[in-house]
Amino acid sequence: MNIADIVKTLDGTLVAGGESDRQVGAVVANDLMSDVLLNDAEDILLLTSLASDQAIRTANIVGAMAVVVHNAKPLPQTMCQVADTLGIPLVSSPLSKYESCVRIHAFLEGEGKR
Amino acid sequence: MEFRPKILSGGESRSDDQIMDAHRRQSPGAAMPGLPEGEDSPLVIMELLQRLRVKDVMRDHDIISVVRTDSMRFAQNLMKRNHISGVPVLEDRRLFGVVSVNDIITALEGGWIGEPCQKHMATSLVVLEEDMPLAFAIKFFQNYTFGRFPVLDKNRDFVGIVSQRDVMRVLMHELTNELARLEGKVAAPTRAQSVEKGDGALPYYSMRQFVVVHNDLSSAGKAANEIKRMMKDAGIDNKIVRRVAVAAYELEINICIHSVGGTITFIIDKDEASVIAKDRGPGIADVEWACQDGTSTANDWIRSMGFGAGMGLANSRRVADKFDITSKVPSGTTVMCTFKLKP
Repeated sequence: MNIADIVKTLDGTLVAGGESDRQVGAVVANDLMSDVLLNDAEDILLLTSLASDQAIRTANIVGAMAVVVHNAKPLPQTMCQVADTLGIPLVSSPLSKYESCVRIHAFLEGEGKR
Repeated sequence: MEFRPKILSGGESRSDDQIMDAHRRQSPGAAMPGLPEGEDSPLVIMELLQRLRVKDVMRDHDIISVVRTDSMRFAQNLMKRNHISGVPVLEDRRLFGVVSVNDIITALEGGWIGEPCQKHMATSLVVLEEDMPLAFAIKFFQNYTFGRFPVLDKNRDFVGIVSQRDVMRVLMHELTNELARLEGKVAAPTRAQSVEKGDGALPYYSMRQFVVVHNDLSSAGKAANEIKRMMKDAGIDNKIVRRVAVAAYELEINICIHSVGGTITFIIDKDEASVIAKDRGPGIADVEWACQDGTSTANDWIRSMGFGAGMGLANSRRVADKFDITSKVPSGTTVMCTFKLKP
């Protein structure tokens, strides 16, 4: 699952950070950044409702492959700028985190990856 | 004669922090030193003074010296011939004293110019240590009237001399490079980038310091991200980079949301990387309690920003090879996380 698949699956829009060929290695759905930092997985897709610069900076610390912000929350301009600077794809989705998890699970099941 | 050099060190970094904080308050738009965003801040000069070491500027070759049994007349002629105003009294890298122009004048007036240096040299010396930041050396030149200082290593062996001219020469060179870099005219080799990949030797250790401002969550995390970039550029193993970055980030956020402000200092050499978080208060009354998972004094606003889950110190301790914390109410907390760079 790459960034194009994520955008399509979550009815999302790629708003910053640019395209990427990286594949999802693990999915983390969380709004607490310290919990995200606890995760040791590689190529994390971060699903969050936190529309702030810190979501992107946290994603960069753990080497996340992309960040998805849910419920069509308005994204601060600075958040998009940080995503562009750090080269982390930032996706806005109208779905809830729960719905995103369900769809991503179904997609990865279809790919034979869990 | 037993000589114990008087080494002045430590205790003065606080004033640097205060200077940087004061500057930050006066220039709220200015970036923290070394950060990619807004690198046009004059704080780069302060960062340069912290990054450069005394050993980067000192002269360690062609040192003109005398031994204890040489006469004051010999020292006088040596100084006259070489146009210098003082000579160290050295034997086998051990520093016994310094003979200055003043000592020579006094000897001429007193009639003991033919006597050995050991009787009339200055033995209560102010010396620098080779690993001190250059900022210390500059303060020494401001605080004392001496034109040069002997430099000792950790074993108290003499390793060189630093004069104001030495400081100016290196500082001008580094500032020129820094200005050129800021103007985008040259690639920007940082000290950390000079760490060679694999088992390559590190020519000197590197230090960078970042100011963290209370409640400035929009900037929090910049230091950790910059530390991560520096380590990646230096070719450090990705897993180690991530652990260091996680600790730096947690500690940076802690300073931002729990303290009145402080600094994150990143130090790296060929064997270890260290992240030192130092704040100016209010301190932690129960350090053991604060280091447990899930304990937090964060308010709702901080939690709404994704922090304050009480994992900061616990996470930092989890990822570090060595974790030290000291805290005093109300003066502040210092946390040091150390990471081995080699298995």
